[in-house]
Amino acid sequence: MPSATLLTQSLITGVLAGALYGLLALGLSLSWGLLRLVNIGHFAMALLGAYLTWYLGSALGIPPYVSGPVIVAAFFLYGVALHWVFMRFRVAEMASMLITFSIAVFLESVIQALWTADFRRYETAWASSSVVVGPFFVPTLNLAAAIMASVLAVLTWAWLRWTYVGKALRAGAEDAPIAAAFGINHRRLSYILSGVCAAYAGVAGVFIALIATLAPSEIWTWVGVVFAVVIIGRLGNPLGALAGGVLIGACEATTMAVADPAWAPLVSFSVLIALLLFKPRWI
Amino acid sequence: MSGIRPLPALVVLALAALLVAVPALGLPAFYVSFLYVACNWVSLATSWAMLSGYAGYWSFGHAAFFGVGVYAAGTLAAKLGVPFLLTIPAAAALSALLGAAVGFVVFRVKRLRGELFALMTISVTAVVATIISNTPIDGGSGVYLIGVALPELFGSQNGTIYLLGLGMAVIAMASSYAVAHSRLGLGLFAIHDDEDVAEVKGVPTFRYKLAAFALSAAIAGAVGAVYSIYVSYVTVSETFEITVTMYPVVMTILGGARNWAGPALGAVIVTSALYGLASGPQAYLGRGAIAIGLVLVILLLPQGVLTSIVNLWHRRHPRRIVVPSRVAPAIATPPRSGPAAVALDCRGVTKAFGGIQALKGVTLAVNAGEILGLVGPNGSGKSTLINVITGHYPIDRGSIAFEGARIDALPAHRVAALGIARSYQIPRPFNHLSVLDNVALAARFGTAHQPGGEAAAEAMHWLDYTGLAAKAADLPQQLNLHERKFLELARALAARPRLLLLDEVMSGLNPGEIDAALRLVRDIRDGGTTIVFVEHLMRAVVALSDRVAVLNEGALIALGTPQETMRDAEVVSVYLGKAHVA
Amino acid sequence: MLLEVRELAVGYGGAPAILDIALDVDAGEIVSVIGPNGAGKSTLINAIAGLLRPQRGRIDLAGADLATLAPHRVCEHGVALVPEGRRLFTGMTVEENLEIGCYRPTARRNRAAGLERVYALFPVLAERRHQIAGTMSGGQQQMVAIGRALMAEPRLLLLDEPSLGLAPAIVGELFDVLRRIHAEGMAVLLVEQNVGQALDLADRAYVLEEGRIVAEGLPDSLLAQARIREVYLGV
Repeated sequence: MPSATLLTQSLITGVLAGALYGLLALGLSLSWGLLRLVNIGHFAMALLGAYLTWYLGSALGIPPYVSGPVIVAAFFLYGVALHWVFMRFRVAEMASMLITFSIAVFLESVIQALWTADFRRYETAWASSSVVVGPFFVPTLNLAAAIMASVLAVLTWAWLRWTYVGKALRAGAEDAPIAAAFGINHRRLSYILSGVCAAYAGVAGVFIALIATLAPSEIWTWVGVVFAVVIIGRLGNPLGALAGGVLIGACEATTMAVADPAWAPLVSFSVLIALLLFKPRWI
Repeated sequence: MSGIRPLPALVVLALAALLVAVPALGLPAFYVSFLYVACNWVSLATSWAMLSGYAGYWSFGHAAFFGVGVYAAGTLAAKLGVPFLLTIPAAAALSALLGAAVGFVVFRVKRLRGELFALMTISVTAVVATIISNTPIDGGSGVYLIGVALPELFGSQNGTIYLLGLGMAVIAMASSYAVAHSRLGLGLFAIHDDEDVAEVKGVPTFRYKLAAFALSAAIAGAVGAVYSIYVSYVTVSETFEITVTMYPVVMTILGGARNWAGPALGAVIVTSALYGLASGPQAYLGRGAIAIGLVLVILLLPQGVLTSIVNLWHRRHPRRIVVPSRVAPAIATPPRSGPAAVALDCRGVTKAFGGIQALKGVTLAVNAGEILGLVGPNGSGKSTLINVITGHYPIDRGSIAFEGARIDALPAHRVAALGIARSYQIPRPFNHLSVLDNVALAARFGTAHQPGGEAAAEAMHWLDYTGLAAKAADLPQQLNLHERKFLELARALAARPRLLLLDEVMSGLNPGEIDAALRLVRDIRDGGTTIVFVEHLMRAVVALSDRVAVLNEGALIALGTPQETMRDAEVVSVYLGKAHVA
Repeated sequence: MLLEVRELAVGYGGAPAILDIALDVDAGEIVSVIGPNGAGKSTLINAIAGLLRPQRGRIDLAGADLATLAPHRVCEHGVALVPEGRRLFTGMTVEENLEIGCYRPTARRNRAAGLERVYALFPVLAERRHQIAGTMSGGQQQMVAIGRALMAEPRLLLLDEPSLGLAPAIVGELFDVLRRIHAEGMAVLLVEQNVGQALDLADRAYVLEEGRIVAEGLPDSLLAQARIREVYLGV
């Protein structure tokens, strides 16, 4: 058994990693919960955002706090355009999954074509810095990602909870015809939401570039975990996505500290199976 | 629901002979290799479609079963010295086991069934890959099968491998054909269109999905086993590549998901295109192009190539169903034990949805052979009562017994098998099945449990009975509302139920049609079926019912002859208000 | 005349469910439409509220033809719907449901005043304003549904079978509330299966049977017709 210090350090790392899962899960959860569209392409978009951040930073010297907002804005537009296609062709929930899956594969090819399958690492000044709290090291960039994730989750929750647009989105997702009877144009609002979800993928991408090593196949390693987080956190629930991510992150970290790190990918799957077996009504 | 029209048998045989003889023809390895790869994809796509195409539960985890097969063969043959040919069925069995296990967990969840299944299959693939990678099965170094012995047909190992691949493709397509034309296939197609209705009509949905999934996994596993020796060195990253998951999906949708030969056609098209485009290090470009192709197909040709061709053909040459109808002596199948006096016995049936109490302790006994009218204001619980009787919802408290046996805890398809059928107030036909198949399904899965050929004749009879014979080959969306209501009725009757629950059959009919409907209902009862019918058209209720049960706010407030109940003070006040009780 | 419906036909792909409907509601009037189930009452009110697109005819609300408008534009002209079966946003709280009611910009400004008014009418809701709507009883949900419609500050309140699934005592209270709302000057169009309450409340009434208006007039004169008993009770 590892020492308490080691375990706590693992837990800290795990929680931070989990917050990143939560950040990835945010856009997905909103899209699935409020738009009834399952966007597997979300991961590919995040990775694309990561590659763009890395490339603009490494090759062109544009720092992430400049490239980030541009990427996010561009992704917002992409989200709106994607939703337009779905509306135009009256794509239903299951078909949306197939289409976004294809988009993910396509983007993976594009990424590989542009930047090869070699591992990429964005070396920044802060990459190796940590905040020291007693005997523990909290990597700065991971902390920044976690803070961003929390801020976005809370802002999204507040947006949905207190603004008229947020309430209209929730009402429209539940009963669009009656919402329309009270003046809510759910169609128009759903474009905005789709854009926001894509923008969140962009934000996640920027932080992924700062923290992780990039490779085109990374897309598929996240899919399982993040979907588990979305389901555990319940659809359309921003705080749930964050909490679910942190939970999974913590579980993975504990597993890695106590057993072989290579078994970490099984954690989220096991948690999900357990949930489905014992609480099939959770969904 | 047939596939392509059968090609002349001679052509097929000639083609088959040619394919088998390929290794002996002395063709350059490139062509043999291409044919093998094409066969591989035919098998994978066809097996994928057996659950995902037919039932609409899209799996994004075919790679998991393929990978299990690859490594089962690798481990057994290379590391444990098992004769290679024996590893193939072993691989199939292991994969089937995995499929059954996954299906067992996922298929029990009621909400978001399709999406959840898809996502779970993605996860399963990642998990399987991780386990294989982290254990001695692969351990990160890959598995070499170079030294594995293989019988040499046509003078070389390659010939054997090719024939194994061809054999798998034949098995896959034969299985797919068999399933599509079997009762399992009919059930899967129904599940695709409306799983809940399929269950109520008697399709054992859980079992069928599990069976299709396990079969699909088994074939993928066998294909994987053969593949392992084809490449002779397997690694986790190559085996569990996204390609294996994605290509069967593309091929099936391109070719036609509901057609037993569609995936094969799609596989041939895509493989040819890929070989024509690029391979090797440029493989990812091909992947990208295929991905875009899939998007275009889904948006523009969602039915797939083969199905579109078939539909076009049918439009040019409209099918005429030549099935002789059969006059049925009696409608109801005879009960297993002797005749019972009380057909349906509801005691204290209670059901709430959230805060709303839909049924409050309803106690009601329906006598065998009677026509019971079930009336009450909107929201009084009539539809809920029908739904709990058929097993669509479980009850909170109380009991429901049919011919003496408790049915309230049974799954809906068992209730249907015992002799209960219903029609839906708003028609819910299976939209991709023809009118005839809609009714034939009820005959096959209902109480009568007819085999295929007889089910068609039975269905034809009921279409005659309800005046829909001319529309037997049509799709439900081509019928108007009246005809769809009669389709509902025909479907319910074809199950040969002993208890028939009718939900507002009369609404929307004109006076002449109403009289005909009244005669119809009486005929059905005279055939031995007990009838409970929900109706708002009061004159029909009064004319038809032996007894009338009045529900209000989930409680039974009156039960008796029509004349008595409809003059009962409480009933009058419920309908007209207290001031008008006269 | 506040609402004028002329030659309205509304159907569901094929034969119309209601045909040739002519109906008037004046400012400050309560009009009831009664009829047995399947007669088309919900179809009628849903068409006026904009949920269904008519196949033919006009729905004139103070000069604007609602039949030509997109569903989310209809409420801007001053109608608000209390749907059949309430159809609340069950995942949202009582207050959030009420706030959706005043979503349209002109009503949004008076949100606070609107909430006060609804809570005054339904004190029970004030206590439970943060309760999830789906967990409330049928009668309470109906109050929320009416409150939601009132928040839209309509000129014409549409009610689709408000007594559905409610206990008689609650129905009585409900109709008292409707009387109070009416007393403040609201025009009301009500479709109901409960003949007694509906005719008790109304200034004028129409009888809808199998998709057509078969009778109209003052409540008492309609009740005197034996036809009504026959249609409803079959005897």
